[in-house]
Amino acid sequence: TATAPRPWRLFGAMCLLRLPRITQPLEKEEEEMTALMEQIELEKSHYSDHEIRKLEEEEQLRRRKESMYDDEAPGKTVIMAQDLEDKWEQKFLQFEAAPRITDADKNNIRTSLDRRLDSNLMLLVKQKIGNQELWLLPQVEWQPGETLRSTAERAMATFLGDRIQAKILGNAPYGIYKYKFPRSIRTEGNVGAKVFFFKAFLQSSDLSQAELKEDYLWVTKDELGDYLKLEYLKKVNRFLLD
Amino acid sequence: SSWPPQTVPLRGSHWQTSLLAIRASLPVRAQPKKKKKVDVKREQAQKDRMKKKIKKLEKAAPEMIPIEDFITPLKYSDSNRVRSLAPQSFEETERRVLLLKKWCLFKQKQDKAEKKAIQTLVEAQQEALKELRLESEELYQAAIKRDEGLFPFERDGPNYTPPLSGYDPPEGKCVDITKVYTQ
Repeated sequence: TATAPRPWRLFGAMCLLRLPRITQPLEKEEEEMTALMEQIELEKSHYSDHEIRKLEEEEQLRRRKESMYDDEAPGKTVIMAQDLEDKWEQKFLQFEAAPRITDADKNNIRTSLDRRLDSNLMLLVKQKIGNQELWLLPQVEWQPGETLRSTAERAMATFLGDRIQAKILGNAPYGIYKYKFPRSIRTEGNVGAKVFFFKAFLQSSDLSQAELKEDYLWVTKDELGDYLKLEYLKKVNRFLLD
Repeated sequence: SSWPPQTVPLRGSHWQTSLLAIRASLPVRAQPKKKKKVDVKREQAQKDRMKKKIKKLEKAAPEMIPIEDFITPLKYSDSNRVRSLAPQSFEETERRVLLLKKWCLFKQKQDKAEKKAIQTLVEAQQEALKELRLESEELYQAAIKRDEGLFPFERDGPNYTPPLSGYDPPEGKCVDITKVYTQ
């Protein structure tokens, strides 16, 4: 029956992921392999037009030095391939790319989204469960009449505001954390709670409009251990790929 | 004094000599009737010939579109293009072979780890759905419904460096010169 008392309270939690913006650094074997591949590619290739031009010009220079006479007027300036290469090199050195390790990285500002651009960042909020303040993935209690996915969306909107743009990956939950209430408040009709986790990718890159009232953090998978409790962490790690 | 204006009776066509007389002769065109048939026949024969030619062309197999990547232009098969390299020393070949073996092992471990991670992902989801089913059938049915808004899913991949704020890219126009073949 619809109005039967549920022994387990249902919660919907949202694991909001900020996807990486830069590539991860290569491992040692990968670097060695790329060097080898480049070497093999160079060996198997033929000379390009630019390289043939360079070789011919070097030949000409050598011959001119050996024969010790200028058959061409010294006032004539010929652009050599080597000069072109130098010019390109200069132009490249003038360009300054944005640094891969940002200021937020150096100062370890965990509330900023600009940190650790090469890995996934997850949102953690401090919530009051029972009489404890815990770091958790944002969650709210399920209300009758809504699906669990909408519960998770509501959780996200509660902590980040309405205008957050996130792509939720499907209607099905990714994981579950089941726990029983401590004996002092456990009753027949209120045994414990089940928290269903949903995953979403953050689409908008700036959260300046987000009104974050509680304490929040953006952490990577390996930093989760600093904040989450052991059992909770075990269940969360199962559905996180990194 | 002016003439009383005479109203001249108008004739219907120049073949009608007087109004009261009926048409004396039939209106005749300049060409005699015989040539009409021959013309029609000639035009018909021409059309048939054209249709036969079109059918022949259509029956012939369509010309293959050349794949430009597979055709090396002749100027690259000159002998002066071949690179002159020193022959590889024994140590170099050994180093390469050992590196390839290490790479093989590295990739195998990476692949196994990936597959294991996907396996745990699927297991965790199955467990969650099982628990949900125990709770409420209605929520379970809503959860296993297909998400229509998920696909097509687009995402720009990561680059080597993050975007520069306030960067002014150089101006220019991109002209596409790829050759397009039609069959």
